[in-house]
Amino acid sequence: MSTNIIDRRRINGPQRSVEPIYAKPVVAFSGDGRADGRLPESVRPIFMRTGPISPQASSAASPSGSAYYEQGRIRISCAIYGPRQGRKANPRMGIFNCEFKYAPFSCSWKRSHLKTSDEKEIGLMLEQAVSPAIRLEVYPKANVDAFVTVIESDGKAATISAAINCISAALVDAGIELYDSVAACSVALSKDLQWVFDCTQQEEDAASCSFLMARMPSVDEVTYLLQHGKTTPKQTADAIHVCTNVSTQVYAVICRHLKETLEGKNESDQ
Amino acid sequence: MSQSEKSGQITFAMQTFERIHPVEFQRRFLTQNTRLSGREFSQFRALHIVKGSIGTAQGSATVRMGNTIMVCGIKAEVCEPDVKRPKHGYLTTNVELSPMCSARFRPGPPSEEAQVASEHIHRLITPSVDLTSLCIEENKVVWALSADIVCIKYDGNVLDAAIVALVAALENLKLPEVKVDPATGVVEAGAEGGVQLGIVRRLFPATFALVDDNYLVADADDAEEQMTSASLLVVLDDQGQMVNVWKRGAGIISRDTIAKCVAAAATRKSEIEHALST
Repeated sequence: MSTNIIDRRRINGPQRSVEPIYAKPVVAFSGDGRADGRLPESVRPIFMRTGPISPQASSAASPSGSAYYEQGRIRISCAIYGPRQGRKANPRMGIFNCEFKYAPFSCSWKRSHLKTSDEKEIGLMLEQAVSPAIRLEVYPKANVDAFVTVIESDGKAATISAAINCISAALVDAGIELYDSVAACSVALSKDLQWVFDCTQQEEDAASCSFLMARMPSVDEVTYLLQHGKTTPKQTADAIHVCTNVSTQVYAVICRHLKETLEGKNESDQ
Repeated sequence: MSQSEKSGQITFAMQTFERIHPVEFQRRFLTQNTRLSGREFSQFRALHIVKGSIGTAQGSATVRMGNTIMVCGIKAEVCEPDVKRPKHGYLTTNVELSPMCSARFRPGPPSEEAQVASEHIHRLITPSVDLTSLCIEENKVVWALSADIVCIKYDGNVLDAAIVALVAALENLKLPEVKVDPATGVVEAGAEGGVQLGIVRRLFPATFALVDDNYLVADADDAEEQMTSASLLVVLDDQGQMVNVWKRGAGIISRDTIAKCVAAAATRKSEIEHALST
């Protein structure tokens, strides 16, 4: 039973409330029979949009760059501010900060308004995954801030990798100097010991191991790697191999979108 | 930055002028009876509403008004009712204005603007819904709905967008059929989409802003809000009756103007009604 914390700055509901017990559908988790009919190595369709919706009437307080990202049911919005003055400053290098937040209605259970430790952890993961791609040395004493809000999530590892892709696109929109865009993907190990890509929450719950990789495909460098669960060294090596291929595909999708946006922008300027 | 000097006069690119002198920039438009966005003074931004946009919430809606985007999601939980009101459920509304939507907000606890909006919307919506329709078993179990209205992009007039998003999400709300086990008190949810919340009246907001002490504009965007000295919110219900009038700020709005605003709010009501029905 959850006890809701009373927050004087918000409208509070009852002190104790619980979710009713829902009958959960049973998912047979194996590579060749996925619930949504996908192939094991296929990623859910990606949709994204960068920048403001209407370019005119964008206010002075609007972010330097923004992106909205969808991958299946996952919906993420990200805003980039900077390079700007910040509280922390390093005279040699710029600092990249990332704030990650789940909207209260974004998960299958009700999330707290207050920042929880897992949000803090994911924020740090995103920082570590994306900052190697940023040319921070050209922004001494400055901060680049990323604010990420998950509007809807479906699978934790998939949500984190979607957030990485979303930040990459927003950084390009903000005109921050990058070595390369970071593209991320996630896999999970199914019952028949097959790596299955981009798992939904139901699939993830049934999986024995989850694996996340962020990579800069054009320079072929890995920026973040995370594994939860038990595998043999060979299986992990396999996971790295398959993730390398799929992250390149994800990268191609991001790049194609950015190119189309840029071309669209050029047209509207004429 | 293009800067050239012609006969002693400095000229800037439009964007440069907007950045260094935003008030004067806006004033140049207003004195010509136009707005930067190209809208008429009495023209609201078009509304786009998508209902049921979020699968993890029991009710949801996304509202877009120009560059302002708000998402409202409602999560339903069960709890014990208040002893004094054994048949009433709970509905809490919170507005989230995070630093993601605008540089005007800081991370951390909700800003003053967010708190004021949450409180005002809560006071508006509570008498507009039938909380007894949230009763599962008198004195034992009721629904507790928490509606969170998250701003994705901020470009002025969030209060209108938030109210419309909340109303659309409440219309979209579908609560599952539930069974209470009399022995253990465990609440089990069955098939989705059994019960709907009883809505007494829908709310149709319209905000007007007094910009630069002289010009009354409808649905001000962020740049216009920065030079607003007074704003007037008029909320109408389905019958076109006034539910709420809220004038904020020290700027003077004459009685005639208020009457005109109420008339304009009726026109806006039909626009919102149309957007809600699609």
